Amino acid sequence: MFWYQWMTLAALAICIGSLLFHLIRLIRLGNPQDFSKQHGNISKAVQYSFTKAMSPAKKESAYLHLPTYTAGIIYHLGTFLSIFLFFAFLLKIEFNQLTNYILIGFLIISGISGLGILIKRMMKSELLSLSNPDDFISNLLVTLFQLATALVLFMSNSIVLYYTLVTALLLYLPMGKLKHTIYFFAARYHLGFFYGWRGVWPIMNHKN
Amino acid sequence: MLTEEKKKLGLEVLSAHEDSKLITHLNSCVHCGLCADSCIYYKSEPNEHYVPAKKVDIVASIYRRYNTFLGKNIPWLTKARVLDDATIEEMVDLLYGSCTMCGRCTMHCSIGVDINYVVRKGREMLAVMGYVPDSLNATVKAAMETGNNMGIPTKEFVDTIEWLEDDLKFELNDDKANIPLNQKGKDIMYTLNPREPKFFPLSISAMAKVFYAANESWSLSTEMYDVTNYAFFSGNMDEANVIAQRMDDEMNKLESKKCVLAECGHGSRAFKWEGPNYIRKKLPYEVLTSVELLAQYIREGKIKVDPDRLTEVVTLHDPCNLVREGGVVDEQRYVLKKIAKNFVEMTPHGTDNLCCGGGGGQLAMSEYNGRRMKTAGLKADQIRKTGASIVVTPCHNCVDQLMQTNAEYKLNVKIMTLAELVADAIILE
Repeated sequence: MFWYQWMTLAALAICIGSLLFHLIRLIRLGNPQDFSKQHGNISKAVQYSFTKAMSPAKKESAYLHLPTYTAGIIYHLGTFLSIFLFFAFLLKIEFNQLTNYILIGFLIISGISGLGILIKRMMKSELLSLSNPDDFISNLLVTLFQLATALVLFMSNSIVLYYTLVTALLLYLPMGKLKHTIYFFAARYHLGFFYGWRGVWPIMNHKN
Repeated sequence: MLTEEKKKLGLEVLSAHEDSKLITHLNSCVHCGLCADSCIYYKSEPNEHYVPAKKVDIVASIYRRYNTFLGKNIPWLTKARVLDDATIEEMVDLLYGSCTMCGRCTMHCSIGVDINYVVRKGREMLAVMGYVPDSLNATVKAAMETGNNMGIPTKEFVDTIEWLEDDLKFELNDDKANIPLNQKGKDIMYTLNPREPKFFPLSISAMAKVFYAANESWSLSTEMYDVTNYAFFSGNMDEANVIAQRMDDEMNKLESKKCVLAECGHGSRAFKWEGPNYIRKKLPYEVLTSVELLAQYIREGKIKVDPDRLTEVVTLHDPCNLVREGGVVDEQRYVLKKIAKNFVEMTPHGTDNLCCGGGGGQLAMSEYNGRRMKTAGLKADQIRKTGASIVVTPCHNCVDQLMQTNAEYKLNVKIMTLAELVADAIILE
């Protein structure tokens, strides 16, 4: 292991520790205590919250904004792939040339998706007014992470740059908006809990 | 002027974590802005000010400033805001003046942020600091001081009910037809929206006729009949608690088995769903809305309705608090399909409905009338597209807003409650 890998592993430990802090705090605080009479099925509603409720068939923020939604999905898939490859690099797992090219191709597309979302943020006045520097830093760090992963797959001598970038990302992740890594799941859970308690979700076809 | 003491009270709303819900929703928004198109304010006037995420962010930015590492140390990085007079002024405009708390943005949020809940928390902050708009406060104050939000004196209420009872006897040609007051041990204690005795007494007659046809054991209370709880909108939790407690006390005093909530979206939510949490206890009696009761009567054959009497085209406006926030979606449709030959849905409808613009206390806040009536244009378009001549809505608040919409946008439709339509369709044997 080289110094830059140790540096990244230390950042990873800090990142996981911080995210665990957020997670444990959420678990410790628990569900809202509701004294009203439960009308629906919470587990089905939570399941619905994570599945159908997020689909373009149901979610207006998806079906009215299909290009952004698609870019967002690709961008997130690119992030998950980059995380997987980060561990693969650490474990010295290697891929054949064809796989490498496919991975590079996908990461370039996901990186472009990330840049597209960033440009949209800069160009649309209502998005720009809503944004703060953290939004730009977070997007840039993740997009560069994906592109740097592609670069490493293409030419391995960029590895120091790659690990430095990953270190920065891991250290920043638990502090800004990227902590939605944890809070996204909590938010969807709470939404499912809320609508499930009242029998609003899962949405059924009218019974009459 | 914001004092340190007020500021402390406001910030305590954000730092008091009873569970994980508040910190979850304050930390989740990614500022994608995709919620904009789900908001009636933004849809009627595409202005960055009205993007729901803005409403979340003003509350979350204060949370960040006082509760997060980046917010405390490098506030510009996350635009973490100090709670000061300028911030409060913006909060009042965004949270009271630009939101009906309809929850549509919540359901469509790409992440799942409960925007409606964060807005309510923001209103709670403003309420503990004393920044509820005077107009909204006056409505709550009337309820606190007189027992109903219209400030109707008990004698006037009793006179109105007695007059309605005489009319009912005449209409039904039965001296035994009545509107019972303060009778103990009845199966149902029925509540009203104070707009009914004040402006729409025929909706009380309609429900009385339904109870008569169903041979129901019921009573009204003269002490606490007001189903509304405007403190739910103002964010004053102490007052919301007092109003909910009064209803619970009256139920216990009259020893009724069921509390039936009149056609009022926020009222049904405020007592059925929020009420037990305000007073921190499980209610020992059943609480249901009159919409559910009407469906139950028809389904069980307790009342008979003529499916052919109403031939006009009828459409339905879903009150947000009853439907999206309360889960009563199918019952009103079941009833309408039994009594209207030509029932047409609006697009969108059900849990996806558009707010009429009158929710969130907007009807009480005259300073925002211009915005409110602008948002109503969306509902006017929806109604027009159905071709309906009757718009039914099981909410007196929505009735008021729709009546103003009808006049403003020259729709030439009749606005009715569900009970009124059912009463007209009843077959008496």
